Amino acid sequence: MTIDAPVKQSRVGRLAKRLHLSKTVVNVILGLVAIFWLVPTISLLVISLRPESLFGVSGWWKVFTDPSQLTFGNYSTIFSQGFATGGVLDSLLTSLEITIPATLLVTMISSLAAYSLVFGSWRGRDWIFFGIVGLMVVPLQVALIPVVQLYREMGNLFGLNPYGTIPGVIIFHVAFGLPFGIFLMRNFLTGIPRDLLEAGRIEGAGEWKIFYRIVLPLALPAIASLAIFQFIWVWNDLLVALVFLGGNVHSPLTIFLYDQTRSLAANYWIVSTGAVVSIFVPLIVFFSFQRYFVRGVLAGAVK
Amino acid sequence: MSSVTLRDLTKQYGGNAALSLDSVNLEVAHGEFVCLVGPSGCGKTTALRMIAGLESVTSGEIEIGDRVVNDLSPRDRDIALVFQSYALYPHMTVFDNMSFGLKLRKVPKDDIIAAVTDAARILDLEQYLDRKPAQLSGGQRQRVALGRAIVRNPAAFLMDEPLSNLDAKLRVQTRAEIARLHHRLGATMIYVTHDQVEAMTMADRIAVINLGKLEQVGSPRELYDSPANQFVAGFIGSPSMNFVPMHVESVDGGIRVVSAGGDIDVTLDDAESAMIRSAGVSDVVLGIRPEHIDNQPRTGRGLQMRASVEVIEFLGNDEHVHLSSGSHELVAIVDARAPLTIGDSLTLSASSEAIHLFHPETGVALK
Repeated sequence: MTIDAPVKQSRVGRLAKRLHLSKTVVNVILGLVAIFWLVPTISLLVISLRPESLFGVSGWWKVFTDPSQLTFGNYSTIFSQGFATGGVLDSLLTSLEITIPATLLVTMISSLAAYSLVFGSWRGRDWIFFGIVGLMVVPLQVALIPVVQLYREMGNLFGLNPYGTIPGVIIFHVAFGLPFGIFLMRNFLTGIPRDLLEAGRIEGAGEWKIFYRIVLPLALPAIASLAIFQFIWVWNDLLVALVFLGGNVHSPLTIFLYDQTRSLAANYWIVSTGAVVSIFVPLIVFFSFQRYFVRGVLAGAVK
Repeated sequence: MSSVTLRDLTKQYGGNAALSLDSVNLEVAHGEFVCLVGPSGCGKTTALRMIAGLESVTSGEIEIGDRVVNDLSPRDRDIALVFQSYALYPHMTVFDNMSFGLKLRKVPKDDIIAAVTDAARILDLEQYLDRKPAQLSGGQRQRVALGRAIVRNPAAFLMDEPLSNLDAKLRVQTRAEIARLHHRLGATMIYVTHDQVEAMTMADRIAVINLGKLEQVGSPRELYDSPANQFVAGFIGSPSMNFVPMHVESVDGGIRVVSAGGDIDVTLDDAESAMIRSAGVSDVVLGIRPEHIDNQPRTGRGLQMRASVEVIEFLGNDEHVHLSSGSHELVAIVDARAPLTIGDSLTLSASSEAIHLFHPETGVALK
């Protein structure tokens, strides 16, 4: 049987048709919108690439008429400190130390919990799920002080006070990442046909094998989205780190940048350079996870 | 390969008063092909899933080989199930789909390759082993699902409406393929379908299930020739059997049954009359298959009917003629060359052997 594939129309093409405009006009408009949107980011990048001395003298856009202003001087200055405590690289490491475990734990625990909520056969799992969805509306801010007190109390009782430590921050992030993570994973897993699990069960797979050989590979798009969300979320967090890491000598990039703006208002060259550094890591994460966003992972499973 | 035995198998879903499966007894011999057939929701798939171990047993016993498997997990029952939806693993290639079960059982790699290649050859899938299910046609996916079952060489094959997602032509083709496969493997197969044609063409024996109860088990011919009750009679055969409510009358020491209005009448012989008498009924349901109605002149025993032609369905070799006889509607299959037009008045008959009589309340076959 041969069927002529329908002529594919690009998104721009469809948009152009709907707006009764030519494709070129639509492309130009879209390009302008994109540039407008990128201006703050571009300015940040340009500022970081101009010498400190020029910051107060002329606007960053002067670089377009005088490209000789461009220099990596700011970068070599902030990197020259190496991994010394309080430096930008030390903060970068601290950010990774917090973000990677917080992301891994949330994706792992969410997948397991969602698996049980969707494919388990225990009573009341719908109610538990509603409860978890309910937790999503609890604002993080209201929990800060109670959790600090809880941490202190743990210190009193067990001699193990997570307050002021990196694990303390991770635990908080994981706890607040889980409701959304479970919500997302659960909704994705409900799309996986039960027949697939039963087929595996008959063929000899136990619960664990079914989870990681059948369900997990099919859930990769959802896991990738969740990982990106959680990573960026934790990476950009200032508040939790500020509250829970108070007094720790190592601080994540967000605190590092915050300190620069607070203590020395003129330190824009460090802020912009550090900000560009801090943008890079999530970008790497995003692009390396992007390949898991495959449409139609379940195609061919049934029918 | 081994036999499968169901003893008083019963299933009740929590909170449901009605039984989904009610004391079903069935013995499937070693190497036998048995079809469970019935309308949707009759419990046939439930029965199959219970044999597979995917549903718990409320009461009764399931025996595979000489083991009672009630409490064994699906993987320990040594059965393969072909799903209606095929349930192929979309992220694995055809080879991986077929070898998944063997890998889990830690079969040596060489044996896996041999088994998969063998099954692929039987099913004509050799050139697709590296493809993902999404790149296959419906028929090919269906064959992969069969292949996944074959490679494991299980004690019994369970199939849950494996053809229902194929188009009509492919269905006929695959039907023959499964029959051939059964013959070749000599495997015990339990096959669930709602399509009586599938059951009739493939099965050694058919088990008709309705509302959770086993209505009749027998060879396709037995079910066709001597249905145990009105349900089986109506379910087996296409177009299905005509049923007409009749009144019992005594004439000259014998018995005659007549339809309301008197357009259809059947004269019974002595043995049949005795049976009606012993049943003590004043009404019966007449059953007559469309293919048994003709216009040959008959006298004495058998069915006589006056009817007019309402609709003619031309099918090539023959025609389905929808008749109206008094207030009753019947279908007859006639030779396509018969010169019939709509509105024709006909005098039709059927031989005594072709007539079925059922109890008006219980539906049990009286003859």
